[in-house]
Amino acid sequence: MQSSETVIDVKDLVRVYRSSTGFIKRVKKETLAVDNISFSVKCGELFGMLGPNGAGKTTTIKMMTTLLTPTSGHITVLGHDVVTDPMEVRKHIGLVLGGEKGLYYRVTARQNLRYFADLYGVPMNIREERINELLRKVDLSDRADERVEDFSRGMKQRLHLAKGLINDPEVIFLDEPTIGLDPQAARDARSMIKTLIEEGKTMLLTTHYMFEADELCDRIAVVNKGKVVALDSPKGLKSLLKDMSIIEVEGFGITAAEIDSIKKLDGVKTVTASMNEDKQVLRVQVCDSSELLTPVANRLGNSKVIGVRVKEPTLEDAYLWLVESDA
Amino acid sequence: MSNYVSLSVRVFWSSAVLAKRALFSWLNPALWMMQLFFMSIFQIAFFVYVVKFAGGSTEADIAYVAIGNAISSVAYTAIFSVCNITGEEKQQGTLVEVLVTPANRFAMFVGRAMFQVFNGIATVFIALFYAWAVFGVDFSNTNWPALIAVIFIMTMAMVCLGLLLSSVGLYLRTSMIIANIFLFVGLLFSGVNFPVSKLPEVIQPFAYVFPLTYGTDAARAAVDGSSILQIGDLLMDMVISGGLALIVGFMIFKWFENLSRKKGTMDKF
Amino acid sequence: MPRIRAVTSSFRHQFLQFVAEPQWLIPNVILPFMITMVALIMFSGQQGNFVLYAVLGGGMMSMWGNTLYSSGWSIGSDRFNGTLEQILVTPSKLVWIIAGRSVWNALVGILNGVLIFVIAVSVYDADLTIRDPMLFFIAFFVTLLSLSMLGMLFCSAFVLTRQASVLTNGLEYPIYVGTGTMFPIAILPWWTNPLSLSLGPTWGIDAIRYAALDNYDGFSTGYWGDVGIMLALSFFYLAVAFVLFGVVEKKVRVDGSFVRY
Repeated sequence: MQSSETVIDVKDLVRVYRSSTGFIKRVKKETLAVDNISFSVKCGELFGMLGPNGAGKTTTIKMMTTLLTPTSGHITVLGHDVVTDPMEVRKHIGLVLGGEKGLYYRVTARQNLRYFADLYGVPMNIREERINELLRKVDLSDRADERVEDFSRGMKQRLHLAKGLINDPEVIFLDEPTIGLDPQAARDARSMIKTLIEEGKTMLLTTHYMFEADELCDRIAVVNKGKVVALDSPKGLKSLLKDMSIIEVEGFGITAAEIDSIKKLDGVKTVTASMNEDKQVLRVQVCDSSELLTPVANRLGNSKVIGVRVKEPTLEDAYLWLVESDA
Repeated sequence: MSNYVSLSVRVFWSSAVLAKRALFSWLNPALWMMQLFFMSIFQIAFFVYVVKFAGGSTEADIAYVAIGNAISSVAYTAIFSVCNITGEEKQQGTLVEVLVTPANRFAMFVGRAMFQVFNGIATVFIALFYAWAVFGVDFSNTNWPALIAVIFIMTMAMVCLGLLLSSVGLYLRTSMIIANIFLFVGLLFSGVNFPVSKLPEVIQPFAYVFPLTYGTDAARAAVDGSSILQIGDLLMDMVISGGLALIVGFMIFKWFENLSRKKGTMDKF
Repeated sequence: MPRIRAVTSSFRHQFLQFVAEPQWLIPNVILPFMITMVALIMFSGQQGNFVLYAVLGGGMMSMWGNTLYSSGWSIGSDRFNGTLEQILVTPSKLVWIIAGRSVWNALVGILNGVLIFVIAVSVYDADLTIRDPMLFFIAFFVTLLSLSMLGMLFCSAFVLTRQASVLTNGLEYPIYVGTGTMFPIAILPWWTNPLSLSLGPTWGIDAIRYAALDNYDGFSTGYWGDVGIMLALSFFYLAVAFVLFGVVEKKVRVDGSFVRY
């Protein structure tokens, strides 16, 4: 399905937000949200953007979907410039924003889709057919004539997806489409995304979930502070850490001081702490695990360690390494 | 005990400041200024022209309407903005967050309306200024301590009424509708534009539920030179009607809290 | 792109939203209703058909209130629901979407006007005989047209602010004063007259009074003059709204503040 034709082309993209606060003395503030980003997405590709909150992902999506004008730089989608020819771009793209908003709550799912079908100019003779098909696809057929306000979060999100597909777009932008969904609903959403790729759609996806990006994306741009810090396939990103491995420690009562002392060890890149059920889990990125296994364990003398493993780096490790080394 | 009091004071104070901030983010300062300086003058103008067209050309006729409407401008803040605090909180979903805190409920309930008391007093004074400067109302006989007392007590009482309405609004899906209705009932029932005695007799007793009805009478008397003692009864009536509104309002507020905890439907109303 | 469809579907959509929450009629009707009742009491004992005068004024005010609120909320509710981005990203221009909604809102305005009328008749048992019903309805519909065009014009300005609901509240009285809904604008200070005369509904209420009241002495333009000027103003509003929406759409994409609530 993949061809080399470029569908989205982003060149030297910059976006500055100007805002003013204060009452008597208006203070002008400039925020650099996107700082010289370039990349391109090929036809049939699923392109991911990963980055912490405020990295500039949503701003970039808004610029690509004609909702915001770049401060400088160029974007073309299917060969149309988003600034000079926004109407042409809008006809061929779909936008799915995550979260619960963005639907008319007081009317039914079908009425929502119908309204957007009209605004997209979906031909009348196929409108109802397409709406039914999409409702089936997102598994909302039997709830189609209920008001959206009574829907669960997952149902709203599925309706969002249906709405994003109402004009049968060639390019689909998904901004955190699985945010706030339960695991089952998120898995359904992912399988729908896979189906769309099989149908030949080009997609751009932002997400916070690493396994999701790993599972779905052909290529990933890691964005931090408005810049692309890495752009590669998930495999390629993981191989950035090929000289490293992860020491994973499970235990109880690990203190902040102990974590700090591990961080200070020579050869330790990053340390992240998280909870897994009632256990603490430390992931220590190191250059040479055989050399550092003992020192790491020694630093945890006062806590109860129940397991130490050496693991291959995951996409999350690669992401954390990229974002933290950029800090 | 003193700990309890100081904590309540803190809750009261932070609710007051928070409500003010919330108001500011909702209304930017420029628009707040518009409400303060702009709305009352057109309300006064409207009814002054109506009374002129209705044949009321004497100074007393115009003064009656101008002072009545200037006083009733308190409703914008005391009724509308106070109702809006809860309305906004419900819409933004912060109502739940506020209600899960262990803060003293009464302090929280009253504190959030505090800023509106000052706002309301300022609004009325500015409106009275217009009555004098634009519509030529004669303030030379005014007993100022009496007028200031009227405005202060009436604003407090009206804010209490606003709190009562905002509590009722908790039960409604769109609390702004009730705010809109009560923003304007005063025009008809509270002796703003004509004496209550001109209303159909069956309605007249209802007029005396509103603190504003006493406020307009008291303010006109003070402008005519009556002293605090002479209008003492009216002031007392306002205190009572405001106090009752506050008590009932707080009861409704507590009741809502319990009800929504039981049903788990705090934001759904 | 599909202009007519954007208009008709927005009209239908607005209707569906209205049916879902018809209680929003209340705020638009409450102030005009109160004022009408106040005016009826203040006018009592006067010569001439003051009851009809007050009721016509009240109906006019309620249509005005409806125009203000609905144009303020046209975009405000989308902004609040997060649907604004969703309609902006469609290839239908905002101006057509708003046009469809404005037409529905104008129809709601009729409902408001009729409501005041019915209440006044039932409460006051008044003689509300219209002198020339045909002319009355023509004037009424041209007034509605000019109100909906004015609504679009307001809407383009309201798009830029989060405070539309404050503006709509703030503009209510000035407009009731300025367009002479309850008294002739001749009793206003002379320097306000140019502003009054630039608003279509000022001519509308005058034409309505010509058609409804016996021996009405209004603008020297007479009934047909009023209607003609009102029509011309309506098209002027539409043209300006068109230009403004273009500017606004560009501006919001540049400053990015459009969709924040």
